[in-house]
Amino acid sequence: MNKPSEVLQGTLDLMILRTLELRPMHGVGVAERIRQVTNGVFVVKAGSLFPALHRLEGKGWLESQWGQTEEGRRAKLYTLTRAGKAQLAAEKRNFRRVFHAMNQVLEGE
Amino acid sequence: MVWTARAKQLWRSLFRRGQLEAELDEELRACAELIGGEGLEQVKESVRDEYWGIRLQSLWQDFGQAWRTLWKSPGFAAVALGTLVLGIGANTAIFSVVYAVLLRPLPYDRPEQLALIWSRFEKTGALHAPTSPIAYREIQHRNRLFQDVAAIWVGTGTFTGGAEPEQVKVAFVTPNFLHLLAVRPALGRVFAPDEHFGDRTAVVLSYGLWQRRFGGDPQIVGKGVEMQGANPTVVGVLPQGFQLYFSTESNVAMDAQVFMPFDDYLYERPLTLYYLRLLARMKPGVGTAQAQEDLNGVAAQMRAVYPQFADENMKLSLAPMQQDAVREIRPALLALFAGAGLVLLIACVNVANLLLERASGRRRELALRTALGAGRGRILRQLFLEGLVLCGVGAVLGVGLGWIGVRALLSLRPDYLVQLRNVGLHWPVLGFVAAVTLGSAMLFGLAPAWESTSLNLMETLREGGHSAAPIRRRVSAALIVGEVMLGFVLVIGAGLMIRTLANIRAVRPGFVPEQVLTFQLSLPPLPSHGAVTAWVKDWEAALCALPGVQAVGGTSHLPLGGFANWYSPYRPDGVPENQAAGMIADYRSVTPGYFHAMNTRLVDGRFFNEQDRAGGRLVVVVDELLARRAWPGESAVGKRIEAEHTVPTAYGFEFTTDWSDVVGVVEHVRNHSLSQEVRPEVYVAWEQSPRSPLGFAVRSTGDLMALAPAVRKELARRNPTLAISNVRAMTEYVESARAPASFTALLAAIFAVLALLLAAVGIYGVISYSVSRRSQELGVRMALGASSWDLMRMVQREGLTLMAVGLVLGIAGALAVSRLLGGLLYGVSAVDPLTYMVAFGAIVAATLVGCWRPAARAARANPVDAIRAE
Repeated sequence: MNKPSEVLQGTLDLMILRTLELRPMHGVGVAERIRQVTNGVFVVKAGSLFPALHRLEGKGWLESQWGQTEEGRRAKLYTLTRAGKAQLAAEKRNFRRVFHAMNQVLEGE
Repeated sequence: MVWTARAKQLWRSLFRRGQLEAELDEELRACAELIGGEGLEQVKESVRDEYWGIRLQSLWQDFGQAWRTLWKSPGFAAVALGTLVLGIGANTAIFSVVYAVLLRPLPYDRPEQLALIWSRFEKTGALHAPTSPIAYREIQHRNRLFQDVAAIWVGTGTFTGGAEPEQVKVAFVTPNFLHLLAVRPALGRVFAPDEHFGDRTAVVLSYGLWQRRFGGDPQIVGKGVEMQGANPTVVGVLPQGFQLYFSTESNVAMDAQVFMPFDDYLYERPLTLYYLRLLARMKPGVGTAQAQEDLNGVAAQMRAVYPQFADENMKLSLAPMQQDAVREIRPALLALFAGAGLVLLIACVNVANLLLERASGRRRELALRTALGAGRGRILRQLFLEGLVLCGVGAVLGVGLGWIGVRALLSLRPDYLVQLRNVGLHWPVLGFVAAVTLGSAMLFGLAPAWESTSLNLMETLREGGHSAAPIRRRVSAALIVGEVMLGFVLVIGAGLMIRTLANIRAVRPGFVPEQVLTFQLSLPPLPSHGAVTAWVKDWEAALCALPGVQAVGGTSHLPLGGFANWYSPYRPDGVPENQAAGMIADYRSVTPGYFHAMNTRLVDGRFFNEQDRAGGRLVVVVDELLARRAWPGESAVGKRIEAEHTVPTAYGFEFTTDWSDVVGVVEHVRNHSLSQEVRPEVYVAWEQSPRSPLGFAVRSTGDLMALAPAVRKELARRNPTLAISNVRAMTEYVESARAPASFTALLAAIFAVLALLLAAVGIYGVISYSVSRRSQELGVRMALGASSWDLMRMVQREGLTLMAVGLVLGIAGALAVSRLLGGLLYGVSAVDPLTYMVAFGAIVAATLVGCWRPAARAARANPVDAIRAE
């Protein structure tokens, strides 16, 4: 597992929501965090990340405002909304179910 | 909460676009390290794709762009549009007809339940024969899956009250007929299913007749109207536009003006005479197959009970009314529809080719746009939109052209395709056009899109866009080959139809139609047959005395006239009764002058004359077909034959069978169709076998239409209650018998010309493109000593090679298709060499025309220009 993989289709939203559950972050922060947490397995490209952030905002799961990054740079920070939290909970449950099922398939071989 | 977020985004993307762009720019710049090699513009573009408002705007922009791009090259736009308009127009027109005639449900209540029941005599090949009263009664009693069965027979009657007597078509129906169709009358009521009338005392009038003859009298219900032989009471008026939809073969006129009940009188007629057409309504949920099963059972029971049905092995067959009504015209219409489809296909191929050509001319532009951040989707969308704009404009103009085309079709032959009256641009037709348009747009969009998926940014930008990609050349060559193939198939089809028409025009129908005036007359109800005979003789003599008149004769059925046919068995002397099955002839009762008036040729013996009197020796004249079949190699004159005659009765006439002497043989007359010898013919002498009404033929050297008033005056002078009807020149009947062939041939020819034109345009486009791509090469060749002539030949060879491949495929296609045309052809083989040769020539000519200008341009190639162009 040396080569970084493109994030699985459909799981990017979940990962973004989960990442922003901790605290508001800007785009680079989210991407960095995902890379760190997965030990570099998942690399989120800008071409996928930014459209996803705007899409989630459009769905009302994220809110954005301008603020300061930790390095003190002005950036657009995304925050998880109440609806976003509910969605995250639902998606987590769903993913676990799928993951569990997937595992059973793989173990069953 | 959730929807407010969405609304906010939409609002921002539509009305705060500048702010949104600025924020996006700032957001992304702040994350520059993340973007790296992906390209700022590309990332922006994919974020923009998340905003509906932006998508909408960019769609709109692309539309505008597509529109402007088209206008930037008006020559291209004109050719592409013209091509499309022709293709869509032809399809709109034909589909309007196909829809009105073949697809639209009949305008009756639950029309899918309606079906016709025919007698089927496989031995004699009469597959759609009428039924007899006795069979009708049995079917009605024995069936289990029909709600009701009704019978109809259309004859004539004459209105006598009022100023002018008028002969009309009368539909004699069982009382349940109109009720079965669930007709809602405009006035009064229709007959009740179980009503009894005694003897023809009630009528239901058509709306048109009520308006015209009775001035739309709102009080007409309950009044008596004067008709020859009866004074029936009007019980109702049919709704406006009510029509009967039966096949031509069934001889049920669409526009019967009067409906009269059969009632008990039905069973006073000979019970075994086959003249009734049966209309049935199946019970809800019963399918055609089930109903046919039921009828098979009924027929088996009838054969078991009645020996005559068993002898003839009578079967019953069921056909959905809608399907049966269009049985005769369906093949021709479908062939034309297919033809129009081919034209559209060629048009699409052309436009695809043009777009493809342009797309590859625009590879640099597209590559540049990709470099500037336009996603592949966006580029594909733009190409598709260009196709759509083109097709949209083409569709609007095409529908206009189609509408004009439909008007033109209507003016061609309104009474051949009667349902054409209802042809128009209905919703399904417009839906069809929309589908065709969208389909075409996809097709055009796809070809260039295919090209641009193989777009390699760097290479395209570097190479300067001068060499045509080999893949593209292969695609357009394939398209041209396809075009030539389709064009060839269409030209063959048209050629065969034109030859068919020519053959039908050349056929001698068994008489000379020119200079013959015809009309129908119901004879006066005189007390004795002798009196009627005297009246007819006197009447014919009076007509003969009119200026210019050469001969006058009457017949029970004018050829090609479309009135209820009279056909029955015959049996030559010496043939045992059990071997006479299948000997069926058309019977005609004629006066002595008839053959003279029609100029029918005498082959042997004599015509009828004044000696063939009622009560005398029974005589017949037969046609050569019957003479050949019954007495091959011998003279028919003097032979005896058992034939059907009529005897006068109180209510008209009755059929009898009797031995008769053959006194003459005449040429075969095409009574039903110019292209078929349907049945042999037996002529009986009218004086011995009277029938009414009679159709009269008057041969005159003068103006026929001036003759008609003189005939009317003559009739009014002797009997003011009589009326002549169907006053027409005999040529009109012949012309309308030719109408189906003319119609098909004309349309096929139009389609073929369109196809040739479009193919030439297509070839022009491809060759011209290839010449412009190769201008450098041509210049070099010229510099190296090639003559203009060499270059021209080289270019033409390119076109002719494509054509040759197309032709080979075309011949295969034409062979397959012309077999399907078989039933529509007359007197010409489906692989007629002449047609194939002409079609071959036409395609070669179209190719040469298409190559001409590009070849000439190649010949003018200038070495200096070619080198400078780089």
